[in-house]
Amino acid sequence: MSNIVPFFEKMQALDRRYIYLVVALAIIIPLLIPFNSKTYVTEPTANVYKMIDSYAGRSDRAILLSFSHDASTMAELTPMEVAILRHCFQRKVKVFTLCFMPAASPLMDYALNIAKEDYDVQDGIDYCNFGYKPYGLFLPILLGMGDDIAEIVETDAQGRKISNLPIMTDITNYNEMNLVVDFAASSAVYSWIVYARARYGVNVAAGITAVMAADNYPYLQTGQLVGMLSGLKGAAEYEKLVDVFATHKNPDGTIGRSYSKEILQESWIKLSDVDKRVYKTARIGMNAQTVAHVMIIVFIILGNIGFFLSKKKKEQEMM
Amino acid sequence: MFETISNLIAAFLTLCIFSFLYKDNPFYKFAEALFIGVSMGYAIPLVYENAFLPFVYQPIFLQGKLIILIPSLMGVLYIFRFSRNLSWLSRYPIVFGMGIVGMGVPMSMHSSVLVQMRSAMLPLDNINTALIFIGTVTILLYFFFSKEHKGVYGKFTNVGVWYMMIGFGASFGYTVMARISLLIGRIQFLLGDVLGLIK
Repeated sequence: MSNIVPFFEKMQALDRRYIYLVVALAIIIPLLIPFNSKTYVTEPTANVYKMIDSYAGRSDRAILLSFSHDASTMAELTPMEVAILRHCFQRKVKVFTLCFMPAASPLMDYALNIAKEDYDVQDGIDYCNFGYKPYGLFLPILLGMGDDIAEIVETDAQGRKISNLPIMTDITNYNEMNLVVDFAASSAVYSWIVYARARYGVNVAAGITAVMAADNYPYLQTGQLVGMLSGLKGAAEYEKLVDVFATHKNPDGTIGRSYSKEILQESWIKLSDVDKRVYKTARIGMNAQTVAHVMIIVFIILGNIGFFLSKKKKEQEMM
Repeated sequence: MFETISNLIAAFLTLCIFSFLYKDNPFYKFAEALFIGVSMGYAIPLVYENAFLPFVYQPIFLQGKLIILIPSLMGVLYIFRFSRNLSWLSRYPIVFGMGIVGMGVPMSMHSSVLVQMRSAMLPLDNINTALIFIGTVTILLYFFFSKEHKGVYGKFTNVGVWYMMIGFGASFGYTVMARISLLIGRIQFLLGDVLGLIK
């Protein structure tokens, strides 16, 4: 015991820069030497997938993706945006994008450009980017879309009149654009719940940073959120769902199959089988996340052992 | 070529910011100042093009909708915030904004209080609803300060404290995950996009 205590005392006085170095290595090594950590899909993520999938091929259904974050949280939110957009493009779900933050505008283009690369989709027909709208118009647009989307949004990111676009056929208001997914690093989701959900009954889902997850669980539990993607973990889950179902190659040559819990439990996607890195960013990241979490747990245990041993030593010295 | 140059610039700025972990230095200060400047420089023309031109300039000067002058002038009153003598004028647009916030009160009550209460009143027919019921009641008792937290009452409030500690732990765990994710994102960029080491 007397030999251990000085070790822990030294550990507690360790320069924080050594800790940074260990954290960096715990992340760099799993990224360079990838392994297939299993991704378990949680119910809130599966619910978002199922709802979007239920709109497949329907001209009278669409979803709205609201981008409420800037580049600082791209690492967590962009993989989920790309995964959802891929799902929509693959399953022919009409999708609209919108943002009220200037810094989110290029992030929408970035996610759209990555996702549409492998699909034959056209702006104005299969998807439409409403673009950046000033924050002062947040409430008027949010409420106005409950009556007439084309009237309140007026023009898309390219300045085209929305009412003239083919994508607007059969789409008038929240009755058709019945799901809003808000990607946020703030409490922006709350506004959609309070105004759009409470007043128009629109389905709201959240794609949020892990920091915000705990705050949003009460809304999930009460059914005010139909589903939720929490941080990098949520993004990794959605990436897996897209690979297992939406882009699955059937023996008869067709692509895509319906969601099934049984298939999901049996599925094992090897990361090396996924061609593009942008389609597995979150899952690669979760490898590093796993190692980093184990390391942090070890640090916490060591810190606590050191604390209690030092406390005991002090008590013995005082006696 | 453009992608290579932009990646190298982004990698250099990322390393400048990371250098703060060793100690404060001019590279970190440079990257920090550049970020603030670029953010503002990007936002101002975007807001001018997407807000001022379509909602102020065009309606007033091209379409002759003079009614737009009223909200525009009200917005201009914000500038008086910087004047010691006339700063009171900036309160008018703030008051107007507060009125709009008031519109959300009934809907907030619905989403944050009434619906939450309804879900806490479900029959206790499974372990989850029972746990939610115990947590809600004991935490509410903890925040009832008119009675000293002693005896049987104190034991109930202690259960509430445990619930809150578990909640804080979950919240902290998520925060750790979020911060590590951001670091992973940057390292993925450096190793994957810049150095091409991640396949």
